Amino acid sequence: MATNLNKFVIRTLTCFTLWALFSYSAVAQDPDSVVAVDSLLLELQRDLGALTPSLPRQNTFRARPATNPDISVIGDIRALIFSEGERNFDFELHEVETAFKSVIDPFARAEIYIAAHNEDGDIEFELEEAYLTTLALPHQLQLKAGKFRSNVGKINRIHPHALPFPDIPLVYENYFGLEGLNDQGVGLSWLIPNNSFYQEVSLEITRGPHHSPSFDVAGNNRFLYTTHLKNFWDLSADATLELGVSGLSGPNQRGMTSFLGGADLTYKWKPVRFNTYQSFTAQMEVFLSKMETNDDDISTWGFYALASYQFAGRWFFTGRFDHSDLPDDPDWNENGFSATLTWYVTEFQKIEFGIRRRWSEHFDSMYTGVVRAVFVMGTHGAHEY
Amino acid sequence: MKRRGLTGCIILTLFLLVPSRAAAQEKLRIVTTLPDLAYLANEIGGDLVETFSIATGYQNPHFVDPKPSYILKLTRADMFITVGLDLELGWVPALLNSARNSRIQPGGEGYVDASIDVPLLEVPTRASREEGDIHIFGNPHYWLDPDRVQIVARNITKALNRLLPANKSQFDENLEHFSTRLDSLYVEWKERMEPYRGAHIVAYHNQWPYFEEAFGLDIADFLEPKPGIPPTPSQLALIIRHMQQDNLKVLIIAPYYKQDAANLVVSRVNGVVVPLASSVGAYDGIDTVFDLFDYNVELMVNAFESATE
Repeated sequence: MATNLNKFVIRTLTCFTLWALFSYSAVAQDPDSVVAVDSLLLELQRDLGALTPSLPRQNTFRARPATNPDISVIGDIRALIFSEGERNFDFELHEVETAFKSVIDPFARAEIYIAAHNEDGDIEFELEEAYLTTLALPHQLQLKAGKFRSNVGKINRIHPHALPFPDIPLVYENYFGLEGLNDQGVGLSWLIPNNSFYQEVSLEITRGPHHSPSFDVAGNNRFLYTTHLKNFWDLSADATLELGVSGLSGPNQRGMTSFLGGADLTYKWKPVRFNTYQSFTAQMEVFLSKMETNDDDISTWGFYALASYQFAGRWFFTGRFDHSDLPDDPDWNENGFSATLTWYVTEFQKIEFGIRRRWSEHFDSMYTGVVRAVFVMGTHGAHEY
Repeated sequence: MKRRGLTGCIILTLFLLVPSRAAAQEKLRIVTTLPDLAYLANEIGGDLVETFSIATGYQNPHFVDPKPSYILKLTRADMFITVGLDLELGWVPALLNSARNSRIQPGGEGYVDASIDVPLLEVPTRASREEGDIHIFGNPHYWLDPDRVQIVARNITKALNRLLPANKSQFDENLEHFSTRLDSLYVEWKERMEPYRGAHIVAYHNQWPYFEEAFGLDIADFLEPKPGIPPTPSQLALIIRHMQQDNLKVLIIAPYYKQDAANLVVSRVNGVVVPLASSVGAYDGIDTVFDLFDYNVELMVNAFESATE
């Protein structure tokens, strides 16, 4: 009985001591007392002289890259109105893209993009891209492996939120699908040692995309081969010209092979001095396709041309004309025209007003109006030029 | 099969032959983000280096296009000098990622963050974009204070000594020469600015805290309501009232901002717009760090004199 009582007393005391310790530490972390310590620190710093803000710990702060990846989240929200249909007004959370980027070690960096898409009203998650890029291969080579947007044309690698319009050109939609050509595999690119202008050539071998209009995954060891040659010239301090040539070959849905050839031309003007006030871009891309079938080969083509003018610090106007066949139907063709007004509220938010007409001899003209808001959270790095 | 193995071996050997570093008589190739850094590297490196600055002195350093032609320069560079502190966040990472040059990647022997050891101002205690386009490490425009330029020059000298140790004495001598000259001129500049110590002025963008501290000025207000957000009419009205009430006459602005709003404001308060040089190369004739401070001190003194008339 006595020992039991002793045990009880000891336990109670232990508990009480622990509780007391716990609450003491809680009191010590009371925000007010932290403020008191900080203000004391500031006083001491002031007394020590003018240049004391040079706390050594700032330097460790400044060191990049951190061990945590750079994380950003980009949202794309839309309101749509159509000329057809009984329900011709809708809201859409078009995409929320989460990006993780980091240097892995001195030899490679990795990027991962996870996107939540709206698929007919349901939100679906998708691993949009995930790939490793080498940083230290000799001979100006760079190797890439994983799942990535293929290096073809000019806009295929650009994520939709970064395009100056809410809709992708018809030729992309018809030949590569609404989300562009995106596949799993490896890519090697080489910076050609040319001293007079920039030339980069790349070759990608990927498994073949699922149900892309032009290509498909094959049951045997046939893959999608993608090459791209990029040439870039500085015309003056204010203007640049880029000419790209693309070639693709891979298995198609008919079990045969499809070939695509493409060319892209981009002219950009932006004054160096007042570089945030005005700019102009003219761009066009053309794709030629030859699809092998059991009967005759099907040859088709498509192109778009756009002009984008930044007429004030935060305002852009973009007009685009589209014409495109379908890769597997020589008799079908359609046209599109879209006009987009973009307002950059800040660097981290833009609002776009777009209108698009789509017409063809095969159907009545269709009109779509879009308002989209794109916002960026976190560290969003630069886009490629 | 045998032949394929042989070909494989040859290709592998070719790729493993890392190109040998620049021959001894070739110059060290230095690429910098800003012309101020290129000037310092040239001053200390002398004829052993050749420099190229990506941005010009009259370009907004936050918004430079990462053109592929800069990648060409970086691919061949032995050293890359950056202001750091996220000033160039919008374009340097894109360029470095494509440079295929491990020497100049962060952590590489040729990567130089000029901000190391520079005491910073305006280090936020809380980083939120509610405050506009803020810099989480502190204000990055530190090259506008002669004392901090000394630290940058030392950082560059350290890096040159690391890459070309045989020429250490030469670099140290060049640094000594530069440093002494800057120190003595800084004394003169401060003397010229002394009558206006503590003077209240207005600035377009928050990029002058180091200049303000170095020359004893006091920036009382900004035209941008928050960093990176262009002035709104209501902000301009507030500024005009503020300038009238406190009798502020001098408005400073960098070369890459249009002066319409600034002109409008000073016309209402009978003041002056002072287009200060924000970098080496900002205006014709500003070719050195000394020219930069000479020019700015001259402009400020003239502005204060005309404002008191």
